[in-house]
Amino acid sequence: MRKKIAFFILLGWLLLFIGDRVDELRVYQGAQIAMYTIALASIVLLTGYSGQVSLGNGAMMAVGGYAAALTLNKLGSPIWFAFLMAVFFSALFGALLGTAAARLSGPYLAGTTLALAVGLPEIANQFAFLGGVPGILFDVGFPPARFGEEFTQYKWFFWIATFLALLSLFITSNILQSRFGRTWSAIRSNSLAAELSGIHSSRMKILAFTISSALAGLAGAVLAMTISLVAPGAYTLTLSFALVTGAVLAGVSSLPGVALGALILVAIPEIADVLANSWGGGENFSNYLPGLIVSLLLILSVIFTPNGPGENLRKHRHNKASED
Amino acid sequence: MIRKTRRRGTWLAATVLAAGSLIATALPAYAETGVTRGEIKLGITLPLTGAASPGYNKIGNAMNAYFKYVNENGGVYGRKITLIQKNDEYSPQLSIAKTNELILKDKVFALVGPLGTANFTAVHKSVGLAKRGVPSLFLNTGFSGFAKKTSYPASFMILPSYAMEAKIIAQFLKENHAGKKLGIVYQNDEFGIDGMGAFKAAGTKFDVTVPYTSGSQSAATAQTWVSQLAAGGAQVVVFFGVTSATAPLLAVSAAAKYAPQWILGSVGSDPLTLRALGVPVAVLNGAQTPAGNPSPNDTSDEYIKQFQEINTKYNTGTAFDDYVLQGMNIGLMTVQGLRAAGSNPTRKGLISAIETKGSSFASVAYSPLGYSKTSNVGHTGYYMAVMDANGDRKPFGGTVKLYTTDSGSGPVVLSTFKRPAMPAKGLPSNS
Repeated sequence: MRKKIAFFILLGWLLLFIGDRVDELRVYQGAQIAMYTIALASIVLLTGYSGQVSLGNGAMMAVGGYAAALTLNKLGSPIWFAFLMAVFFSALFGALLGTAAARLSGPYLAGTTLALAVGLPEIANQFAFLGGVPGILFDVGFPPARFGEEFTQYKWFFWIATFLALLSLFITSNILQSRFGRTWSAIRSNSLAAELSGIHSSRMKILAFTISSALAGLAGAVLAMTISLVAPGAYTLTLSFALVTGAVLAGVSSLPGVALGALILVAIPEIADVLANSWGGGENFSNYLPGLIVSLLLILSVIFTPNGPGENLRKHRHNKASED
Repeated sequence: MIRKTRRRGTWLAATVLAAGSLIATALPAYAETGVTRGEIKLGITLPLTGAASPGYNKIGNAMNAYFKYVNENGGVYGRKITLIQKNDEYSPQLSIAKTNELILKDKVFALVGPLGTANFTAVHKSVGLAKRGVPSLFLNTGFSGFAKKTSYPASFMILPSYAMEAKIIAQFLKENHAGKKLGIVYQNDEFGIDGMGAFKAAGTKFDVTVPYTSGSQSAATAQTWVSQLAAGGAQVVVFFGVTSATAPLLAVSAAAKYAPQWILGSVGSDPLTLRALGVPVAVLNGAQTPAGNPSPNDTSDEYIKQFQEINTKYNTGTAFDDYVLQGMNIGLMTVQGLRAAGSNPTRKGLISAIETKGSSFASVAYSPLGYSKTSNVGHTGYYMAVMDANGDRKPFGGTVKLYTTDSGSGPVVLSTFKRPAMPAKGLPSNS
């Protein structure tokens, strides 16, 4: 445990050190990578460990984003409390959804969560207090003055997002290595066998849904912070699909892989921009190209490496180590 | 021998480097972001695709057409203007992402004509435009909150505010529709609330008030609006919302044979967008609306004539309408701003130049510009117009009767302001 804590602290320092030496665009992208890392961790826990396929993580992120923004705006609370409320309300929502989802599996569960991803963010359009299409502002304020004039807003976002991502990964890895993680793995491998050995699988599935939603909600609040806004358009179906793609590419049951998945998701628009410029496709083309790349990667990954290239690489290494 | 040759090569390289460095340092440096010896880079975010794109997607190309015309005629102090357009699909989060690209990646000198109240509010906060000192010229939104100089020190409006618009409509109601039952449909966000506050301050009392949430507009919701208006007996209905809400409102009203006198706010009265949304433009026939510019079909106007010529040559195949006119006019104002900033423009210099000289800039709109050291208010007035069955507008009463006011408690006054003449050949020569 001490080694793990030391590792995370060291990693944090290293990231902040890098953040100090790259330009502002990269710092901003660093905050986005941290946000995706948390969101992908929620998928790894839910799908990779407990075996429940959810396509609705974007909706869970929306719950967290709106909870944080309303807490901050209506109560005038400190920022840490807004993030805490994002975790609380999305966990609560996840528990309710998990109760229904525990009766479902496979495509039925995927379909239900997909419907949620489509419908939930649109609810905001019907209520004035949720700000309609334009959404509501989520202003975490300027960085503390003691950091100096040179300390930019985006660096502040990066610091907060990185801290929350490392904290989330630390807590998630501990949960996954605990008896809960082992129990979820048992349920995913063989639900009937797990039941026969005394595991209450429905209860455990609800718990997985709750924790996963809490993580997704936190990611939603971090996303809201990086764009200073909560709006239905920020939590689209495209986001949910992008998260699934990121998780599959990174290896859906590999927690360390989530950082790689997050990096890929942030790199895709950059790659699309380069491709669009070299092909002369113009601005419209470059706007739609990231979605096309995400879809292609997902399709290719499902055809050639159903568990994701990350997972294959991990198995290959594991087999090689066993042979040695 | 070999060592000697190598040493000679090293010396040669060092000499070339040193000479190069000396030459480089001797030349004048252009340290300002987005400005080089031969180019000034500007950026705009706007909806090139998506539901809000019809009409708005023309603004960037129209602006670019004007810049091409200026570039071919010597540019701004010899520098060509490059405009980078980014598609934000009218979504605040995309607007933030695209503005980030413009500022952090493309490194533009200034933003010109960014669109939408919600978008610019989010962008201004998220990207930190004020703290970065990035000039945001001639916003395509009339939210009076942007006129707060202390919060938006680097931004300049161009449109009269929604509050001004509401005050002028209130005056028009008093003068022309006194004693009639009044109704209003408004969008209950910054845009509509800005207008409602001004109506209240002007003492306008509506008999039927119908708010709607942005995004909830549809044929089904419009049914409920029309039912409320008809049940309340509203004879004159003011609409203070977006065109995607005007469309179902007018279509449902026509189907229900409910025909009050419509007074459509400037944002929601665009015939082109209505046509794109499948509503026959004929439903606009007789609707009254505030207008700032002459009709784009009025070729007797010197601005319209010049802009139409530029459009034909540099924006080939695009119909000349209000959006093209707005884009070109922003281009004209921008070039005057850049010229006023001097031959070595800086961001600070540009902001200061508009503050001190901007109120005398040539612009197609009839009303005065309100720029000063303490104000970033753009145009300050409207005249009332009547639309025909083609969506074209003519001044109400036959001649332009210009009203000017402010966004606060100032009175609405009939103005005799005469706008500056169009610069010769449409090419500013100010400094």
